[in-house]
Amino acid sequence: MLRYVLKRLLSMIPSLFIVSIIVFLFIHFIPGDPAEILLGDMATPDQVQQLRQEMGLDKPLYIQYWLWLRNAFRGNLGNSIFFHQPVLSVIFSRAETSILLASMTFILILAIGIPVGYISATRYGSKLDQFISSASMAFASIPTFWLGLNLMIFFAVYLKLFPSSGFPSILKEGKLSNLIYLVLPSITLSAPNSALVIRITRASMLDVMKEDYVRTARAKGLPELWVNVKHVFRNSLNAVISTLGFTFATLISGTVVTETVFSLPGIGRLVVDSILRRDYPVIQGIILTIAVVYMIINLFVDILNAWLDPRIRTGAGGSV
Amino acid sequence: MVVIALCAWALSTALYAGGTKETKKTEAKATETAAPKQLRYATIAEPPSLDQQVITSDQATTIAQHVFEGLYTFNSKYDPVPLLVESETIAQDGKVITLNLRQGVKFHNGKEMTSEDVYASLQRWGKFGVRGPVLFNHVNQVKVLSKYSIQIEFKEPFAPWKSLLAFINGGAVIYPKEVVENATKQPIPENQYIGTGPYKFVERNPGRYIMLEKFANYQSRKEDPDGYGGKRVALIDKLYFIPVPDVATRVNGVKAGDYDYAEQISGDLYEMYSKDSTVRTLLNEGVIMPLMFFNSKEGIFKNNFKLRQAILACLDMDAALQTAVGPQNLWASNGSIMPKSTSWYTIDGTDLYNKKNPSLAKSLAAEAGYKGEKITFMVSSAYKIHADIGMVFSKTLRDAGFNIDLQVYDWATLVSKRGDSKQWDMFFTHHGFIPDPILFTFMSEAYPGWWNTPEKAKLTEEFTVTMDPKKRLEVWKKIQSLIYQQIPIVKVGDVYNFDVYTPRLKGLGTTQLIWPKFWGCSLE
Repeated sequence: MLRYVLKRLLSMIPSLFIVSIIVFLFIHFIPGDPAEILLGDMATPDQVQQLRQEMGLDKPLYIQYWLWLRNAFRGNLGNSIFFHQPVLSVIFSRAETSILLASMTFILILAIGIPVGYISATRYGSKLDQFISSASMAFASIPTFWLGLNLMIFFAVYLKLFPSSGFPSILKEGKLSNLIYLVLPSITLSAPNSALVIRITRASMLDVMKEDYVRTARAKGLPELWVNVKHVFRNSLNAVISTLGFTFATLISGTVVTETVFSLPGIGRLVVDSILRRDYPVIQGIILTIAVVYMIINLFVDILNAWLDPRIRTGAGGSV
Repeated sequence: MVVIALCAWALSTALYAGGTKETKKTEAKATETAAPKQLRYATIAEPPSLDQQVITSDQATTIAQHVFEGLYTFNSKYDPVPLLVESETIAQDGKVITLNLRQGVKFHNGKEMTSEDVYASLQRWGKFGVRGPVLFNHVNQVKVLSKYSIQIEFKEPFAPWKSLLAFINGGAVIYPKEVVENATKQPIPENQYIGTGPYKFVERNPGRYIMLEKFANYQSRKEDPDGYGGKRVALIDKLYFIPVPDVATRVNGVKAGDYDYAEQISGDLYEMYSKDSTVRTLLNEGVIMPLMFFNSKEGIFKNNFKLRQAILACLDMDAALQTAVGPQNLWASNGSIMPKSTSWYTIDGTDLYNKKNPSLAKSLAAEAGYKGEKITFMVSSAYKIHADIGMVFSKTLRDAGFNIDLQVYDWATLVSKRGDSKQWDMFFTHHGFIPDPILFTFMSEAYPGWWNTPEKAKLTEEFTVTMDPKKRLEVWKKIQSLIYQQIPIVKVGDVYNFDVYTPRLKGLGTTQLIWPKFWGCSLE
C-alpha cells in the first residue's frame, strides 16, 4: 500500500507541471491586461506600458514562465497584482472560508444523503421511497442562487436567526461562533449535493441487492438489518465514496454562486474575480492549488476504495 | 423546507449558545465603556488600492476620501473650495498661483503637514498620477516658498487648475514627503496609507473588509459643511467597507441589520424600496453618463462625420435608458454633455440628439456613402447598462439598415481591444461625474476614439487659457456644438444610482454627492 501511495504521489509532479503550463498559456492568451485594468480609463498608453514594464509583463512569455516556475519551486508564487500581497497569503486568507464551508456542507451531506439513501433503497417501491426519490429530484433541480436567496430572506431578514452574508475569520477573531455565518450557505450547498448522494446510495444499494451473495445471505437466515448493512451497504460504498470525494473537491475548490450570493470570501470568488482582473499570479497560484487538492482527494478516495475492496488492492478482476 | 427550517433552528441555537459566553463577556465590558459605533458599508466591489493619485476606481475614492485630502474640494454646487489650503493669490493673469496652506494640520502619523509634503505629492502626481499630467503639461515649475506656502507657475494661464486640484479621484491628495518622494506609478503600499483626513486607515482584509478608524487629532476646517467642503466631524468610530457583489445580498443585508448602507441598487428595485419602511433610499447625485465612442483614427468612421450623424439621428435614447435603468426618476434623456445640475449645462448643438428618425438616418447614411459595410460595435457584459443599451442600439441601427456586428466581451477584454484602432468602429462605456469638461476622457487625444481635429485643438486651447467663467462657458458651448457636428461620442443621457441605508443612520440628507461620505453622520 505504501508503494502504491508513493507511486501516486510521484505521478502528481508531471501532472502539476502540465497544469501549470496550460494555465499559464491560457491566461496570457486571453485578451486583457492587468496594467490597463489597474490604471483605469484616464491612463495613457505610455503610462500603461510603464506599469507593464514594472510588473515584468513586457518580457517574453517563456521568460515570464521560467521566472514564475523558479520562484514556485522555492515556495514563492509571486505577488497579487490587485491586492499587492503574496499570492500564498491571499489564497490562505480565502482557504479558511472554503475549507470550513466545504466541511460543514460535507457533514450535512453525509448526515442526510447516506441515511436517506439507505432508507430509500431498503424500502424500495414503498410510498416513502417514492417520496424520497421525488424530493431528491426536486432538491437536485433547485438552482443554488434561488435557494440561497430564499433561505436568506426567510431566516436572516424575517426570522433574524442567522446573519445574511459575510464570514468574519475564526482564525483572526478566535470566535468559533462565527460558524453561524456558514449555516445558510452550507444548507444551500448541501441541498443539491445531498440529493445526489441519496440517489447514488440508493442506486448502488439496489444494484448490490441483486447480487447472488445477498440472496445467499438472506437464504442463510441472516437478519435483514445485518444483510443490508454488512453485505449490501458496505459493498455499495465504492460508488458513494467516489461521488463524495468528487463533491468534497468541488466544494473546496469553490462554489462561486453560493459564495457570491452570501458574499463569502472563498476560493471560488477569488478565482472568478482574479480572472476578470487579469491577476495572473493569483490565477496561476490558485489553479495549481486546486489541482493539488483534486489530486490529493482522488488519491485518498482511491486508498479508501482499495481498503474497502480487496479486489482493487490485489488487482483482481470482476465487476464491482 | 420544514426539515431545513428545523435543522436551521437547531444549528442557530447551538451556535448562539456557543457564542453566548463570549457575548456576555463582551456585554460586561461594554457596560464599562461605551461600545464603539461602527458603520458597515456594502460596496459593489473591492478596490485595487486606495492610492488616489494613481487609481480612478470609484470604490477606492468612496473609501479613500475619508483618509486622504487634497488642497481643494467641492461644495454642494460642485464649485472648488479650499480644503488644505488656507488662501490663494493669483498673479500675472493667472500664470502664477501662490497657495498658503493651513497650519497645524496633522498627518495620521502625527507629523505636521508642510509645503515640503505638498511639493513632493504634487511632483509625484504630476509625473505618475492618472490626471496629473493634464495639469502638469501646463506647469512651468512648482516652488516651495516657505514652510506653509507653495507656488505653481504655469506656462500660460490654465483655467481648470483649481477643479483639477479639487477632484480627488485620480487626484492630487497630499501624502507625507517620506511616503511619496520615491513613489512611482505603482500604488503605494497599504502600510503607507497616511493622510490628513478625519479617518485613518487601519486594516485591509482581502475579500472581507477595509476598516477605517476615527482620527483623534483631525484638524477640521471651521466653515459650515457644504458638499465635501467645510467642517468635517467624525461621529462614527469605525467604518467598515465590505465587498458584497450581489445586489440582492446588499439590500437583504441592510434589511437584516448586517449592513448599514448599501450602494448601487438596481433601478428596477427603486419603487419597491422607496415604500419599504425598514430601509431608506437615497439618490446619488454622481451622474453616470453612458457614452458610445466612434473610432476617429481608423475604419469607416474616420473623417466621416456624416455617417456618425446618421447613426445619432437613428437612436432612441428614451427606449435605451428605459430598458437599461427602469424608473424614469433615475434617468434623463439629456443631450447636454454636462448634467443639468451644473453650470456647464447647455443645449447648444443638440438638434440631432434623441431624434429617433430612421428615415433621416438612411438619407444621411446615403449622403455619407455608406453601402452596408460591417460596423464592429463592442460592448461589455460586465456592466448591465452597457449590455442593455448596446442591445437596444444594435436593434435600432440594424432596423435602419446598418450592418452592426455586436461583440460582447468581459471588461478586461474590451479595454484591451479598444486600444487597437484596427479592431473596432464603435464601443460602449460610461463616464462618471467630472467637475470640468476638460476632464472628459474623449477630450484627450490619447484615449481610444482618438478625437483629434484642428477645430477641436483650437477650441480646447481657447478653453484652457480662458480664465473668466462666463467666457469659458461660451467656449464650452462651441465645443459641445462641435461634438454634435463631428460626433466623437454619442451621449445617451444622465443616469442616477440609488443607495439604501438603515433608518438608524442619520445625517445623510436627501441626496448623496458623487461618493458617499460619512463624516457628519451618526448611528443611533
